[in-house]
Amino acid sequence: MAIGSWMRRGLAAVVASLSIAASAQGLSHWPDAGFGDSFDGVSGGPASDNEAARFLAQATFGPSPNDIAHLRSVGYTGWLNEQFAAPVSTQTHYLDWFLVAFPDDYLSDDTRLEVWAINSVGTVDPSRPPPNNVATDQLRQRIAFALSEIFVVSNSNGTLAYEPWALASFYDMLAGDAFGNYRTLLEDVSKHPAMGIFLSSIQNQKADATQNIHPDENYAREVMQLFSIGLKQLNADGTPVLVGGQEVPTYDQTTVRGFAAVFTGWDWNNTGCGDTTYTCCMYNEDEGWGTYFWCGPSNYNDPPWMLPMEPVEHYHDNTSDKQLLVYPGVALPGGVLVHGGDAQTEMTHALDNIFNHPNVGPFIAMRLIERLVTSNPTPAYVQRVAQVFDNNGSGVRGDLKAVVKAILLDPEARYGQWQLPDTFGKLREPLLKITQMWRAMEARSTGGRIGTLAPWPPIEEQIGQAPQRSPTVFNFFKPDFEQPGEVEQRGLVSPEFQILTDTAVVATPNYFFHEVFCDYTGSTNCWASDDPTTMQMNEDRDAALAATDPAGLVDKYSALFMSGQMSPFMRDVLITRLNQLTEDNYGQDLGRTRVQHALYLILNSPEYSIQK
Amino acid sequence: MHVNRREFLRKSICAALGGASLYSAIGSLKLIGAAAAAQRGFSDYKALVCVFMYGGNDSFNTIVPMSGTDLTNYLASRGDLAITTGQQALTPVAGGGPTNYGLHPAMPELAGLFNSGKAAIVANVGSLLYPTTQSDYQDGTVPTPAQLFSHDDQTNQWMTSRPDDANANGWGGRIADLLYASNTGQVPMSITVSGQNRFQRGGTVNQFSVNSWGASCAASGDPDCGPFSVTTMSYLGDGPESWLLPWQDQNVVADDMAAYNALIQSGTQAHVLERAFADSATRTIANSTLINTALNGVTLATAFPDTDLGNQLAAVAMLIKVRQALGMSRQIYFVAVGNYDTHGTQLVDQNDNLTELSQGLAAFYNATVELGIADGVTTFTASDFGRSLAVNADGTDHGWGGHHFVLGGGVRGQRFYGAMPSLAQYDDNNPNSNPDDTGYGQIIPKQAVDQYAATLASWFGVDASSVNDIFPNLGRFPSSDLGFMN
Repeated sequence: MAIGSWMRRGLAAVVASLSIAASAQGLSHWPDAGFGDSFDGVSGGPASDNEAARFLAQATFGPSPNDIAHLRSVGYTGWLNEQFAAPVSTQTHYLDWFLVAFPDDYLSDDTRLEVWAINSVGTVDPSRPPPNNVATDQLRQRIAFALSEIFVVSNSNGTLAYEPWALASFYDMLAGDAFGNYRTLLEDVSKHPAMGIFLSSIQNQKADATQNIHPDENYAREVMQLFSIGLKQLNADGTPVLVGGQEVPTYDQTTVRGFAAVFTGWDWNNTGCGDTTYTCCMYNEDEGWGTYFWCGPSNYNDPPWMLPMEPVEHYHDNTSDKQLLVYPGVALPGGVLVHGGDAQTEMTHALDNIFNHPNVGPFIAMRLIERLVTSNPTPAYVQRVAQVFDNNGSGVRGDLKAVVKAILLDPEARYGQWQLPDTFGKLREPLLKITQMWRAMEARSTGGRIGTLAPWPPIEEQIGQAPQRSPTVFNFFKPDFEQPGEVEQRGLVSPEFQILTDTAVVATPNYFFHEVFCDYTGSTNCWASDDPTTMQMNEDRDAALAATDPAGLVDKYSALFMSGQMSPFMRDVLITRLNQLTEDNYGQDLGRTRVQHALYLILNSPEYSIQK
Repeated sequence: MHVNRREFLRKSICAALGGASLYSAIGSLKLIGAAAAAQRGFSDYKALVCVFMYGGNDSFNTIVPMSGTDLTNYLASRGDLAITTGQQALTPVAGGGPTNYGLHPAMPELAGLFNSGKAAIVANVGSLLYPTTQSDYQDGTVPTPAQLFSHDDQTNQWMTSRPDDANANGWGGRIADLLYASNTGQVPMSITVSGQNRFQRGGTVNQFSVNSWGASCAASGDPDCGPFSVTTMSYLGDGPESWLLPWQDQNVVADDMAAYNALIQSGTQAHVLERAFADSATRTIANSTLINTALNGVTLATAFPDTDLGNQLAAVAMLIKVRQALGMSRQIYFVAVGNYDTHGTQLVDQNDNLTELSQGLAAFYNATVELGIADGVTTFTASDFGRSLAVNADGTDHGWGGHHFVLGGGVRGQRFYGAMPSLAQYDDNNPNSNPDDTGYGQIIPKQAVDQYAATLASWFGVDASSVNDIFPNLGRFPSSDLGFMN
């Protein structure tokens, strides 16, 4: 397209936008306060469809009209209890099925994304027979996704890139532990072979001075820095402790070395090993040789990729005392783990030592609040949740179910957008926009598999993220990232903005452009639109409404996508745009076309992009 | 929400200097403007290209001894991990450093550039608060940077040169804040082909990110390759799938643009995060248009490898080619590759990494020669840290000091700057067994990131007084210019 004609259209657009601005002039850019403000408290359940939609945006991968109606009928507590009891959806079974069902297709990490989408969006899982073949555990899956951004393993590791069972199994573990105890989660993470590979703790060996070998410090450092306590001591409300105006570190290099020595001697699980399968991991003290470094699974679906690591004691350090964390009330005297314990005993003591550090409550509270609700919680909110972590009300520390409930039912989660109208909320992650769009628009693929998260170029290069594909253990974005400009100057954080690069600013809308204008039920518009693995949205559902009542369509989508928080200004812009689309130009496609433009403009708008 | 660690006003004043002292000579808004204006008007073109190796490159297997006591020590320290064959011999000029070192076997191109005077080695650089000896470190008598050996923190400290200020802007960003007015074009002076990074975070200048996917193919001009351009939005009529828009609706693009632009109109949103989102979109669209107009039809004769780094550097080279069309006389580029954190399988992984590095850097240098701007472009490497001299069976752990390369026509090449450290294995009973060792296999740097960065900033055109302002700790070290630039 010649630049000249494009510039002419640009000028026309400037003129048009001036006229749109003129007509919308005077319309508020704030959400209309008439929608959904309630002081009835959470015990009465959501007081309106908008409140219900807003809760579901925090607690699931996006509301559908049925979800909203159901939540209103059972209330928050009823809904949460249903979700806690819902059967757990997993991923590895899908890979097993795929291997047999599609022997000529290439099973890769992209296949894992298929079942991630099936479970997260809640479409029919082709790998399971009816009737129980639709994932109903939305909250658990949403928490698993949040946990996968804290306890990070990724296909960016050269080995894991070719081990979809290992990554899928790790995610299954997160999902399985999501409503259990944090202490259990911490041990399951520490022993999972995917983590062993990702942070090089598997086949870690005790010090050997003759060969100038020291234990690998990678996992020791990150389990503290990223998975439990962070770098600096925190008050119960998540604010950093200051001594003499300075922050106080939680650990030093000696502590890292202490933990590194604990995490020695762990190797592949031996289930299924043998002469005809793969080498068992062992050491024969009498004969003075072993297979520690040359054992383990061969095929990508061998059980050791999915089972907890096991110790080979010969390589575990049982001669040195290990300096671990020190804090008030620490069980180990001086934080020192005296030598002599076997690998599991020492791991138990070490993880207990971490688990009981006072930082864990506020650290995990802040991380989960940021993933679900808002980037900048008030310290008071953090403290309320941290207190539940410390004691769930029945004397139990680390009850994740209670923590999740505390996060979602807290007044700041339910009403924060009124208390802090200028700052409450977070930038929606692109993956969550996609899943919300698919859930809201009843997307399905004709064949049951979902290949739409494996485009070319890879999805993570377009939108900046993909499940368990972070470039490093630090996730796609850091929890304390501050967007330069007003956000940074006001001392706020905006983690998700870190992947809002100039590339993503264009590529993400282009991804949505493709979805909206290509991939709808019955479409043959684009290459692969009608492929059996392509997610097709139901754009016909609202077509009649769009054709006859564009304002009604906009209001429906305001409720469904934005919990009724669309401003009068934005509403006016959208209605104006839809009215410009006429039957003369679009004929019987008018309804669907208006649906498409409404979807595109909403999905890429600032107001929708910020979840409030 | 973060507690506001700095008052808003102080942040504004300090913004352009990335945290420089409120009491510094140019710590006020008026003088910042004056200083910026004073830097305007370079008649030549210069670019700094940072190549960041995420994860911490193992320097001690990158530049390896080939003879002498250094070799004996190295073999004892590194055991099975030592590089013993295929080294690419380095031949520095007389008085230009040790003659018994070579590069890793995967780096013949970079060795050739060193030996022909186009590259230099800056030895044992790292994050320091003060010059630090072994006893300073072991006795704790000299403050050392916080969170040594932590990826995240050390990466930040390399990118900011401010181990004493975890919130500082990047030193690349601080340079850009001073010099951006020297460009007549509106496109940001700081361009990244590897995503958001702290190095280019400034108070005034925002880094602009470009996707380099397919760039080496595009640079070749092969008709099977797509052109190199910044992708634009299909909805607005000029993107990869704009053909989907119904062109029987003559106004569809104009109406699309009007609606979209009304929603993202800068500054009109009611919520701080919405404003930030809208500003991102507005800025991207404007800058993308300018860059694409300039890049239309641009190719290079120099071939670039089709690797991650090769594509990134090809993109940078094409952008440098259109510097005049973009009105640029000073630019800062950020390029990065990962997978350097070789805790395990180091021999294989580092071989792959250094092959990519050497081939990519050589192609890039050759492209600058093709463009007639080799003297104006300086490429420098950086990394979280060097790695431990000690090993952990098939890899190495986080270290501290590391060696880096500077490359370009303006480099005073074929020399080592700074002393190569001892590679002897540390003996707990005798600290003098390796006086450069912390006591645990990590080597203490003898040159600070401040000095490395200040040398580059001075060459780039930051005047002496401003160098001291943007590197406030520089005076703690023996020299503010390591001398590796002509």
